[in-house]
This record gives sequence, C-alpha cells and structure tokens, in this order.
Amino acid sequence: MRERGVGFERIDVRQVIFDLNDATLEDYDVVLIRCLSHSRALYAAKTLQEKGVRTVNSYEAIATCGDKVLTTLALIEHGVPTPRTAIAFAREPALTAVEEMGYPVVLKPPVGSWGRLMAKLNDREAAEAVIEHKEALDKSQDAPFYIQDYIHKPGGDIRTLVVGNETVYAVYRSSPHWITNTARGGNTSNLPVTPEIDHLSRAAAEAVGGGIVAVDILEDSDGSLLVNEVNHTPEFHGAMQATDADITGRMADYVLSIAREER
Amino acid sequence: MRIGVLCSRVRVEEKMLLAALQKRGVDYDRIDPQEVVFDLDGNGLGKYDAVLVRCLSHTQAYYLTRWLESGGMPAISPHRVVATCGDKLLTSAALQKAGVPIPHTMVAFTPEAALEAIEGMGYPVLLKPLFGSWGRLLAKVSDCYAAEAILEHKKTLGGYRHSIFYIQEYVEKPGRDIRSFIAGDETMAAIYRNSTHWITNTARGGKASNCPITPEIDRISCAAAQAVGGGVVAIDIFEAPDGRLLVSEVNHTPEFRNSIAPTGVDIPGKIIDYVLEVAAMKAGR
Repeated sequence: MRERGVGFERIDVRQVIFDLNDATLEDYDVVLIRCLSHSRALYAAKTLQEKGVRTVNSYEAIATCGDKVLTTLALIEHGVPTPRTAIAFAREPALTAVEEMGYPVVLKPPVGSWGRLMAKLNDREAAEAVIEHKEALDKSQDAPFYIQDYIHKPGGDIRTLVVGNETVYAVYRSSPHWITNTARGGNTSNLPVTPEIDHLSRAAAEAVGGGIVAVDILEDSDGSLLVNEVNHTPEFHGAMQATDADITGRMADYVLSIAREER
Repeated sequence: MRIGVLCSRVRVEEKMLLAALQKRGVDYDRIDPQEVVFDLDGNGLGKYDAVLVRCLSHTQAYYLTRWLESGGMPAISPHRVVATCGDKLLTSAALQKAGVPIPHTMVAFTPEAALEAIEGMGYPVLLKPLFGSWGRLLAKVSDCYAAEAILEHKKTLGGYRHSIFYIQEYVEKPGRDIRSFIAGDETMAAIYRNSTHWITNTARGGKASNCPITPEIDRISCAAAQAVGGGVVAIDIFEAPDGRLLVSEVNHTPEFRNSIAPTGVDIPGKIIDYVLEVAAMKAGR
C-alpha cells in the first residue's frame, strides 16, 4: 500500500466500537480484513458492509469459508470436485456415516483452522473413541459431525492463492504427517500453475464468493484433483520463500481495484 | 404433495403441528435429525415439497435448512431466516437496514472496548450473547461494577460465542412486552407478556394475554418478518416510554403453546396452512 502511495489506516478491531444505529458511512473506500479471529473477521465485515463499506473479503465469503459445511455445499453447488462428505447430529448416525464411507475417514470440526481437532479414523475403535470425545467436548456447542472421505494424497497437497480472478501462485506442501499445514511444520515448494490447477482454483474461489482466498487442493491416487478447503484470510509467508510471485503487490492492486468500483 | 417435519423432541407445539397436518389429510413424514446421515452431495431423506423445521437446536436448524435448500427443497423457515434470527447481531443489522426501529445497539470485540461502549451508552444496558434463547445469559447491567464482573465472566467463558460483545440500550417497559406471530405476510396473533421480571419470556413465567393487532403492530411485525427473510417467525416488540414500538428480537422456531388460549387463534393450523401454501408453490413450479 505504501509503495502505491495509497492513504490507508490500520484499524485494530480490538479498539473499535460499532454503533449499529449510526448509519453514517465510514470514511473508507474499502477495508481489507486481516483479523486472526474468524468471528471478529466475520462480524467486522458484516457491520462494515451494513454501513455501505466494501470489505475484502466480503461477509458472505468469510461466512462460507469459515464453515466447512457451508464450503462443501457451495463447492458441490458450483460443480467443483470435493471429497465425499456427510454430516450427522448424533453418535449413531455419525458412526453409520463413517462405516458407509469406509476407513480411513476424516472427522473435522465445521469451524476451526490450522488443522485443530481434525482426526483421521482408521478403524471402528478409533471412530467410536473420537466420536465419544467430540460429544463430550461439544455438548454446549452442538456442532455437527463432519465426516469426509480420506484422500490418499501421496505425501503432500497443493495450496493456491486466488486474488480476484487470478491464480497468483501454487505451492506443494509436503509433510510426513497427514495434516500438511505449514503452520504445523510442513515443507513448501513451488508448483507451476497448470491450466487444470488454475481452473479449479478460480472455480473454488468463485463458489465461495470470491475475493482473496487460498484454496487447498488434494491429489487423489488416480491423479484427479479435489478441492478440500478454502481459506478467507490466507497466510502466505511460507509461500513467499517458495515462489517469486509478487503476492502482496497483487493483493494490494486487487483491493485498490475494489475501492475504485462504483458504489 | 409430501411434507417433511424435522424435529427431535416432540413438544406440545410439534404435537399440535402434526395434529394439524393429520386433520388436513396431508401426507407427511416426521424425521428425527439425530437418526439420519446427511450426505452433502445427495439425499438421505426422501423428496418433499416443503419441510417444516422444528429443531430445538439452532445449529441443526441452521445446517439442515441450508442442506435442504441445496437439494431444492423449501425449508420453513428458510435458511436465511434461521441464520439471521439465530444471531442477534445479524438480526439487528437486518432490521436496521430495513428501517425497522430497534433499541440502540453496539458491538465490540474485546471486554475493554465493550466497557467503553457501555459507559458511552449509559446505564442500565443489556449485554446479550449473540446466540441462545429463552433469555439465557441475558444480563441487565446497572453499573460499572456489574459491567466489569459480567465482562470478565464472558471472557473466561471464552470461545467463539462469547468473544463478540453485543450491547443494547435497556428499554423501560410498562411491565410487559408484545410478541406477535407471523406466517408469510400475515400477523396471525399477538400477545402481551406481563411480568414483574425484566425478562418477560413465558417460558420463564411471563403471563400471556391477548394483544389486539393494531395497524401499527401489524405493520412493524410484517416489516420485521420481511427484514429477516419471511417464513414463520415470532417478533418481540417493546413499547418505549415515548410511545414508539421497537423490535427486540425475531424467533425462527417460535413456541406458541401459551398464546393459543388468550388469543383464540389456531396458530398451529395457520402455520400448517402456510407450509402447504409454500409446498403448493413449489409443486406448481
């Protein structure tokens, strides 16, 4: 932003008070949301949008990406290939879903990131134990069981960054652990953006409402690509070392292009 | 025509709704969401022309309405209504945007900013959790000592649900508030909820009596229902000391057992008639 000579302010949401009844427009052409907390990002976007301020990302995109059930449904509705997924609201149907899908399966909390509380279930014993623990944990939260087919990715997965209508980079993330998150110690290397990866990334971004998103892609054993998740506040410091794409420059240009759009 | 009814526990309300379906000779299934696997890329249920969602759990209603609509089945209430009404901030934002009068409301993201907002608004204020019903964890805050104590408790409770602070002006009520019931664009019935406690919920001992549906109550009720996306909802209305009506909350799965006798209105019958209307529209498409 500084390089581009743009007037900007950093707003610390921890100090902000939003007055819902005060309809006066906030004095920003666009607000880039980089809150670590999903709920703060979500509600900051909502209150700003209601006051007529555009946000990157939009409330709708943040709401969809922040919830794996909503993400999966959005991907399916837009014809984007994604692993088979079921949800259930009690232990019995959750176990039924796991058994029908066949081991291994992945159990994920619908809301959460950095791979927290994700479980790979290899057999019935693991499924019963983890599901029971989740039930004990989730009593008040009432979250559904999100049960997904495990994709045998050969040692890694693909992450791409989509900014607007462009796939800025793709990286390969490898890890001996099945959770290949760089925040959890995976290795990152550059990957050419093939037409297939480009098409899939942009389709996934569009499905969740666009903006600046990171797309997690899994390569199945037969070589087909499946979109796993979409992240609304991508971390890219790992990718900056692996690729020479001008990541922050592209993001800044996109934010400015939104600011210039007619209200 | 086939109707689905999603509910786990059959309370008095659900019994009445199922009886109304039977009385009309409608082909329906009751489905317990706690017994079903919901395949996100397919079915799991049969095909229905409309599904009445009466889940006690907001989370179940939230995901299942979204899932139903993804499969082309109309949900009552629709997902947008459930998502909006289940979250007080989204409700207030939707009402405010539609020009429906609401009490003064502020949002903060830390206890420190919340305290500043409270002091700016002036005591007493209400601190409400974004999610939840039956008046749970609703706090009337009368001074800074109470504010500090409650904010600290919320911070300690932690988690997604308590990290957003929703602060609302406390409206002095004349010992009662109004709850109106809407199906589609019709105000079916309205009650006064009388209580000596500031939480006038009938589930918490508030006494219900008939409230005549004045044009003003009708107008604000329909406007509030439209603002959140229609469907079958109940609107909580405050009578402010200056005579204005203010909408406090909108409920997407209303309880109505205590409102039938005082109003003389067949609320479950009217809800089912509305569901059948939605189903007929879907079937006619």
